[in-house]
Amino acid sequence: MTIDAVYLVQLTLNGIALGLLYALIAVGLSLIFGVMEIINFAHGELLMLGAFAMAFALPVTGLLYWPALAAAIIAVMLVGLAMYEVLLAKLRPDEFERSILITLGLSIILIHLMQYLFTATPRLVDTQYGFDGVDIGSIRITWTRVIGAGAALLAFAGLYLVLRRTQFGRAMRAIAQNREAALMVGIRPRVVARNAVVLAAGLCGLAGAAIAPIQLVTPYMGQFLIFKAFALVIIGGLGNIPGAIVAAIGLGLVESWIGGFFEIAWQEAAVFVIMIAVLFVRPDGLFKRGGMRVG
Amino acid sequence: MKLVAAPLASIIAALLLAALPLLTTSNYIIGIGISALIFTVAAAALNLIYGFTGLLSFAQLGFWGIGGYTTALTVVTFGGNFWWGLVWAALINAAIALVVGYPTLRTNRHAFVIVTLTFALLATLIARDWVELTRGPLGIPNLPPPQAFGHRFATTGQFYWIAWAFSVAMLGLLYALCSSRIGRTLIAIKQNEPLVRAQGIAPMPYKLAAFAISAAITGAAGGVYCFHLGIIDPLFLDFYYMQTFLIIVIIGGAGSFWGVIVSGIALSALPEVLRFSADLRMIIYGLILVVAMFVMPSGVAGWLREKKLAEMRDQLRGALR
Repeated sequence: MTIDAVYLVQLTLNGIALGLLYALIAVGLSLIFGVMEIINFAHGELLMLGAFAMAFALPVTGLLYWPALAAAIIAVMLVGLAMYEVLLAKLRPDEFERSILITLGLSIILIHLMQYLFTATPRLVDTQYGFDGVDIGSIRITWTRVIGAGAALLAFAGLYLVLRRTQFGRAMRAIAQNREAALMVGIRPRVVARNAVVLAAGLCGLAGAAIAPIQLVTPYMGQFLIFKAFALVIIGGLGNIPGAIVAAIGLGLVESWIGGFFEIAWQEAAVFVIMIAVLFVRPDGLFKRGGMRVG
Repeated sequence: MKLVAAPLASIIAALLLAALPLLTTSNYIIGIGISALIFTVAAAALNLIYGFTGLLSFAQLGFWGIGGYTTALTVVTFGGNFWWGLVWAALINAAIALVVGYPTLRTNRHAFVIVTLTFALLATLIARDWVELTRGPLGIPNLPPPQAFGHRFATTGQFYWIAWAFSVAMLGLLYALCSSRIGRTLIAIKQNEPLVRAQGIAPMPYKLAAFAISAAITGAAGGVYCFHLGIIDPLFLDFYYMQTFLIIVIIGGAGSFWGVIVSGIALSALPEVLRFSADLRMIIYGLILVVAMFVMPSGVAGWLREKKLAEMRDQLRGALR
């Protein structure tokens, strides 16, 4: 089989875009796990809400991309805040199974509420950019994809700076590293946990809003992505943010390549096979705990 | 007195349940009865791994689906019969549980939850996308009724006996397991794993065995259920089933064998009572799950146990005064 170079580059670019999207979700999960030691099952639904918010905001802003994106992110952050105050704040850090079951219940409610209110019909979201794109040689990438990937990169840079350079982020890392010691120096776990959830929700809202013009928006879109994000968090090491990002981009590439040459079933199975293999070789994830991590 | 009463009550209850097709001719009610029996078995299997061993497994949904597909394919594609299909369903699921369980259980219980969840969703995707084997979204319709000794279990009433015999056998097996030394070891692992190790017991084989047995029983239950439906398609792996099993276990009380049985029979009627649109029903399920986790995290059985303990404490206080 001869491999067409253009085709391969196209697959690679698609893979990177897909991987960045996975990374946005996985990073939020990692952040919440690091600070609260819980898994947020409703994380995919935050993404779905972000996509819906984008779909509703675009007609209001006259198809302008950036204001709608900002509105979607803020809307999802508010949902995250409500989720924390109503449900997650009542959990203790050792209640892992309970956190999963509660957020699972929330995820069911959100999916079916959206489906009840807005039906399961997939929505096509149009922006000011439409289907325009940049041409590199014979490869064409739509602006919405380029901007989505760029926004994800910016978000990672911003996250890095926040966690490294601000008191706000240092508090999160402190809680993740040693809860008791953080308490002793006067860091309030409740405030930090709330900040982490809202921040993670914002990243998810960004991912949802960025993906809305690229693929169809349905109440179920979060579910298919979230299980990959869960696997990525395991592959990268629970609570390890750079690990999750590297694993996410790697998975995006692998899936895109497999999807280009093999059956679609293999593309879906790849993440699971990789995860089991990683657990066999390195039970704590590919990347050692350490370095910059929130957990 | 109490030692005789409990088995006697359960035998009487089982016989009463067996008589359902004689009491009514309504296929609708008998259908609910079949669902109740099968769901209770699946929930009891989840209870073995979650309630007793303390490992929250979402893989049950995958085992349920793989069991259904294995049984259906054994009959339709590979020319076997229903009974061998159930055996294959149990064996294949147990093997998968060992392969998935071994690397996963070496890590921690957090990783276990996530891996099993991913496994369940993967099974859904494979059922949809591996079209040559599973026939994709169209599914396999017209599953033939099972036969035994020249008798065809063609009507819903006749199929009920299969479901009944299956669930009595499986629940009996699970009861024997849970009330044995193995069951007590599993509870000990849930409560304090380091202490179990200190007693010279390796937890790993127990956990793996509980996971494999739970997988095998869930798979066989899925096999029976898809022949009740008469069709299997990727919707058989809908998350709805996992939610039903979870709610049964949580409301009944994780770790309480009889609590889960009673809530399984009772809650299987719930979807029929809640005859709203499918979406509203799921919203109510979600609300039940969230509220139950806050109000009574250890289920009705756990709530009763706590009440009893509080009473005993009060009596002690009274006696001391």
